[in-house]
Amino acid sequence: MTEAATAYLASVGTALPGDPVDNAVLGKLLGVSEEWIDIFVGTRSRYFGRDLGTGEVRWSLADLCAQAAAEALESAALEAPDIEFLILSTTTPDTLLPTTASQVADRLGLDYLPVYQLQAGCSGAVQALDLGRTLIASGRRAGLVVGGDVTHRHLDFNRDLARIPTDELVNYLLFGDGAGAAVLTAEPLGEQVAVRGVLNSLTGLGRPAGQTVDWYGLTDRDQDRPLLREDYKAIEEQVPVMAVEIFWELLEQVGWQVEDLDHLLPPQLSERMTTRIVERLAVPGVHEVSCVGETGNTGNALPFLQLARLLPDLRSGQRALAVTVESSKWIKAGFALEKV
Amino acid sequence: MPGLDSLDGFLRLVRTELDLELTDQDAETELAALPGWDSMNLLRLVTLLESGSGRRLPVPTVLAARNLREIYAVLEEAA
Repeated sequence: MTEAATAYLASVGTALPGDPVDNAVLGKLLGVSEEWIDIFVGTRSRYFGRDLGTGEVRWSLADLCAQAAAEALESAALEAPDIEFLILSTTTPDTLLPTTASQVADRLGLDYLPVYQLQAGCSGAVQALDLGRTLIASGRRAGLVVGGDVTHRHLDFNRDLARIPTDELVNYLLFGDGAGAAVLTAEPLGEQVAVRGVLNSLTGLGRPAGQTVDWYGLTDRDQDRPLLREDYKAIEEQVPVMAVEIFWELLEQVGWQVEDLDHLLPPQLSERMTTRIVERLAVPGVHEVSCVGETGNTGNALPFLQLARLLPDLRSGQRALAVTVESSKWIKAGFALEKV
Repeated sequence: MPGLDSLDGFLRLVRTELDLELTDQDAETELAALPGWDSMNLLRLVTLLESGSGRRLPVPTVLAARNLREIYAVLEEAA
């Protein structure tokens, strides 16, 4: 099944702050040798907008998203007046208001256009893409979809990390900061990649959350409830199963056979988990496009970082499938692409 | 690190810091069979032991340990 009006990916831009933080540096902060990080998550590096030495926040979410979006605009050879909507998804907005989406619009010189912000996790980029192609189908000619996350409010490396609960500690090993963006168009421009299908489906009815990202305000800031909690056992058990379901559901939606597929963008929880998921998907001969080993889990930015790696290899007529699982309230998400 | 000079002290540390309900007999229990045990507990334990003792624990030996007594033995050998 394809949409009546196809949306096209014209370009992608990405932004990762500063220098990569390798496992030797992360291990020192956690008080453990780097080999252990390699064994448990396999991720080799990640980036942080906050200077881990001084604590200074050097890149905000708006900084990263604006940088990625500007790169995408430039790659598509479009300018601000060509953009008719902007959608930004994130778990970690800089402020509640103004939205980071509207701040990014301001940085890009965008005005008099609808600007949306989606509060989401790992499915955020797909939610943005889903809404974006709906806007294209309703007559808009070009728009920006942006996703990104920053961890400085939620990860504090100055704490005694050996003494925090495991469901909180695991987040220090997994996450990093980053942003990505894509220009969506009604006509094939730039990279000319058609969005053939999108899966975006909440499947969390009655299921306890796998990942919780909390926040504090004036009245509850002295509580000691953790800001991050990850039920990593549930995630380890359920995400690979859901990934396989998403893969086949998407193939069925677009009417492709597994043999038609050239590239796979699998979920990017951690290097170890991604490897396990790809093994379970068992699609030999399909080129895997992953970034988590170098970027860490950047939440809403991940599919864009994968797309940036895919595009140079995606030849005319080739097909790619992206699979992502948001374990907060168990959202199945993914998309199918074909370069025209 | 105080308390790490005996197996009893080591078990006390595991009980308190990892918040696991262990009996003295659990020193011999297979790690996977300990109530509430998982791989992240092993990471936390290694973090506690390495940062607390200033010793580096040899990764392959710790991973090969079948129970808490064997992990404690690795710690003693690293002294």
